[in-house]
Order: sequence, then structure tokens, then C-alpha cells
Amino acid sequence: MSEVLITATATITGLGPDLDTTWRRLLAGETAVRPILRFDAGRYSARNASWIEGLETRGDRSLLYPLLERLLDGFVPLPPGCRLVAATTKGCIDTFERVRKGLPGAVDDIPVSGPLAWLAARLGLDDPGVNVNSACASSTMAVARAAAMIASGRADAVLVVCMDLVSEFILSGFSSLQALDPAGCRPFDRNRNGLSIGEGGAALLMMSAEKARGKGIRGIGSVVGWGAANDATHVTAPARDGCGLIQAIRLAMAKASIGPDDISAINAHGTGTVYNDAMEATAFESVFGSRRIPLNSLKGAIGHTMGAAGGIEVAVGLRSLADRTLPPTTGFGEPMERFGFPVSPLPQPIGGRYLLSTNSGFGGINAALVLKGNPE
Amino acid sequence: MTPGPIPPVNREDVFPEPNLRFGRLPQYSRVGLAAIAFALRDAGMEQWKTKRFAGLVASTRAGCLVTDIEYYNTVLPGGGGLPSPNLFSSTLPTCFLGEAAIQFGLTGPTLIVNDPAKDALSGVRMALESLSWGECGTMLAGHIDLPAGPAIPGISPPWTGGLFMVLENARDSIANGYGTLDLSDGGAVLHNGIGVPGLNELVRACLAFRGPS
Repeated sequence: MSEVLITATATITGLGPDLDTTWRRLLAGETAVRPILRFDAGRYSARNASWIEGLETRGDRSLLYPLLERLLDGFVPLPPGCRLVAATTKGCIDTFERVRKGLPGAVDDIPVSGPLAWLAARLGLDDPGVNVNSACASSTMAVARAAAMIASGRADAVLVVCMDLVSEFILSGFSSLQALDPAGCRPFDRNRNGLSIGEGGAALLMMSAEKARGKGIRGIGSVVGWGAANDATHVTAPARDGCGLIQAIRLAMAKASIGPDDISAINAHGTGTVYNDAMEATAFESVFGSRRIPLNSLKGAIGHTMGAAGGIEVAVGLRSLADRTLPPTTGFGEPMERFGFPVSPLPQPIGGRYLLSTNSGFGGINAALVLKGNPE
Repeated sequence: MTPGPIPPVNREDVFPEPNLRFGRLPQYSRVGLAAIAFALRDAGMEQWKTKRFAGLVASTRAGCLVTDIEYYNTVLPGGGGLPSPNLFSSTLPTCFLGEAAIQFGLTGPTLIVNDPAKDALSGVRMALESLSWGECGTMLAGHIDLPAGPAIPGISPPWTGGLFMVLENARDSIANGYGTLDLSDGGAVLHNGIGVPGLNELVRACLAFRGPS
């Protein structure tokens, strides 16, 4: 099997137009969750989200395109034959909303094939690409897919592009499920009361280590393990025993040929909903026993970016390994009962070389990645 | 699979016994769940006692757009009501795979692939890759699409309906199946070594191999 490097990353989040800005503001404990100005959120149980400043519609096109333009601006040249794997849950959902309100909208953008074709053309790729949709684990699954393609020799290089927008469609839905925290999400906090939605994107260039090193590219880090499993329990609620997440983590560690003692930090899904965070706590306790590994969630800072979440978390996770620092869990104040993993509103130092990143989603899906940092 | 609308799918068409979940599902999820149920029944795998590590992957062009329209009608002020939590929970194209996972105890990875290709074979391709990588020993693979209808004119997938097949690694399979599938280096789907141009042709080749039952 080929080793899988990540050789370039880019992010755009509510905290900033690039990874450096997002990283700096994450370390400062800032949040991008603030009142929504894009549409009237007054009908819903929360009126806040993490949104990107200055995105503007061009004609009847979706806001997804200026988001992607900013994300890809200045990105490294792609190697010949590079494949494209995208991840979004709702794509150009704003165009769908416009059309259903009787406003002009580019109908061809509504199926995900619309932004996928735009991406392939923008990047000059021969591969038309595919989009992976696995709910809120979409981009984690996309990274896993890309890693498997490279490890098996089916591809030498894959660009993973993850994206989702804040929309009334999404906000209204989570409001109807009573899953939003009006005060902003507080992952792993005793008083957590729901999630905050967010928008963002990530681009991750993944390459065969052999091919990359042949070009003199050292890479930022590696994806060494991946796994996915379904709870088969409930469509919108996680399995209380964490069975799917436990299985996904164990599969990822087995793929990486490492054990629980090798993991030095966890970037959890950490949505801030009562049941998600409790399920994750159960799963982590089950896998890691009495080990107390620094753990965080980014969602208090940048919201739950849906199909972009896992991709952004991979980019930030690799920075965490490089800088030996796990960003704060913004919004966290008081620890959950009977959960001993260190969660902090401040940055936490980490040692070792392996970081576990997990996501879970509607439909019972759970996905886990093991990232490995470069040696110093 | 053919273009155009398909008739409503009722519980009695799929499950002989009352099914608490099926009646609450929108049409997209019913179609997908029905196709998976029929595939598992054909493979003798519908009944189960312990959960099984089998994955589910389907390709689609329009996804659950029909459900999105139905849900968003409850959001629009003219829709006459409050946003429906039940409908919202089906506005991800993967949710019917979760319903199938619950119904049939399947714990492998579940994903939808949106693919611009017109052959409706991306789900099958991904499943074959997953099998070859050892991700799962069994994969359910297929395609699902429904036309958006007059609410959003212009979105008409070339194939509508749901179609799934049960794939197992040949070395593990004990079933007298429908032939052997493989992927060429270029990504073409091969049935018994012969390339097939689309999902319909693949099904025809499988049925021809199996012969009349």
C-alpha cells in the first residue's frame, strides 16, 4: 500500500479567509458565531451562525462559487492526472431557495453536478470528479475515499474539496429539530444545548508519498488510518452506546497499525448537542479506557460547517500536529459529568505524532481518520 | 430504469407486515428502501438476528430534491405551517441508507455519490473498489433518482427509480449469483469480463447469466 501524504491545504471559515487566520483566531479562543444578516432568522430558535464576511451573489449564481473562488485562490498547482473528490451536503442550496421563492436562479447549479463541473473546469482537471455525501461526515468520508484511492494505487493524487453554506433551509431544519443553541454552541460543556450552524470550505491535496517525494515535496503530514461504520440505530439521533463511532475508530487505528496508546490528541465532532457529545464521550471512554488524551471541538468557533467540517478539521489537525498545540474548545466552560478527557477553553500542548479526527452524521454514519504529523 | 415519474410506493408493496417507519418516509426514501429490501430478499439476506458489517453506496444525480421541495414548502411563509422536522430529517440523500441500515442491521459505511456520469454506475464502481480494498465483505450498491417535477423545471434525471444489488467478494460468496463483476484499470465495470455501458445493461447481463428462475 502506498503511503498517503497531504501536500497542501487551504481553508475558508467564518474566522478567516485562510488557514493562518483561522488558526490564529482559533488559538485566541474567538468565535465567528454571530447574528445572521443574510436572511431573516427571526422565526427560528437561534439567530446566530458562523458565516463568511463579504460573500456576494453574482447575478443568479450561488454564494458557493465566491466561497470556492476564495478557497482556491493561490492554491498550489495540481499534478497531472489529479482526481477530484468533493464533499457537500447541500451544495448550491441558496439557488434552490431562490428558485422556490420565484427569484432568478441557475437551475443547473441545484444538482451537485453543477458545482462539481464548475470545480473541474476551474481547476483544469480532466477528471469530472465525484461528490461524496455522507451527511455531516461527508468530507471525512471523502478524505478516506481519496486515501484509499491513493493507497491502492488507483490514483497518484486526489484533490478533496469540501464546502457548505449557511442557509435558511438548514437553519430552519435544525430549529425544527430543536437542535440549535441560541447562545452559540458549547461542545462538551455540562450546559450544552445544541449546535450552531456554519459555512466554510477546505481544499486538501493528497498524494502518493512516493510520487510526492519524487517531486521533492515533503508534505504537511499523512493520512495513515481511516474507518467508517453505521450505528444502524436511529436516523437523526446517535446510538447512545457509541457503537458506530467505536467501530470506526478501531477500524482507523487498525488501518494505521497503531493502538489507543499511540493517539496523542483527538479532534472530536463535538457539535454541542446533548446526545452527540454524550455519545462521543461514551465512545472515547470505551476505546481509550483510562487514558486522558487532549480533546477539542472547533464547532464553538466556526460552527458546524456540515459537509466541510471534516475537511477543515483535517487542515487544522495537521497544523495542530505541526505546532504541537490543540486549539481551544470555544464555548466550553464546565466539564460534562463523568467525562475525564481534557477539554479546555485554552490551547492545550500535545506530544506524539498521531491525531484522531472524527465526525458523525444523520443516517447513523460515523467516520474516523488518523493523521500523522511529520517528524521534526 | 427509465426516465419519467414512477408510481407511489406503499408499505404493502415492500413489507408484508406493518412497518412503523415506512409510512412516515417521503417517496425518495421509500423508493430507496424498497429497492434495498428487494435486493436483500433476492439474496436471502433480508432476515437477520445480529448486525452485519455490510456497506451501502448509491449514485444519484438529483438526490433527494423531491424531499427538499416538500420540506421547503413547509418553510416558506406561504407554505402554511412550521418547518417539518420529520421531512427535514430526510433532506439528506443518504438518510434512506440509514433507514435501511436500521431496518436490516447493516453497520458498514453508507454514502451517496453524486456523479455527472450518465451510466448510473458510480455506486457500483465505488462498491467494487471498497470490496477490493477489503473495506467490507458485502456491499449493497445501486442508483436512485426521482424527477423534480414542475416545482423545479429542467431537472430530469435520465433514469428514475431505485435499483440495488448485493455484491460480495467472489472468494467469500456462497450464493449462486448473477455473475462476476470487476473494474478495469480505466474504471469500466465488467460483467464476467465484458464491459457494460450502464446500469440497465448491467442488470440485463446479470439476468441473462442467471437465466429464468
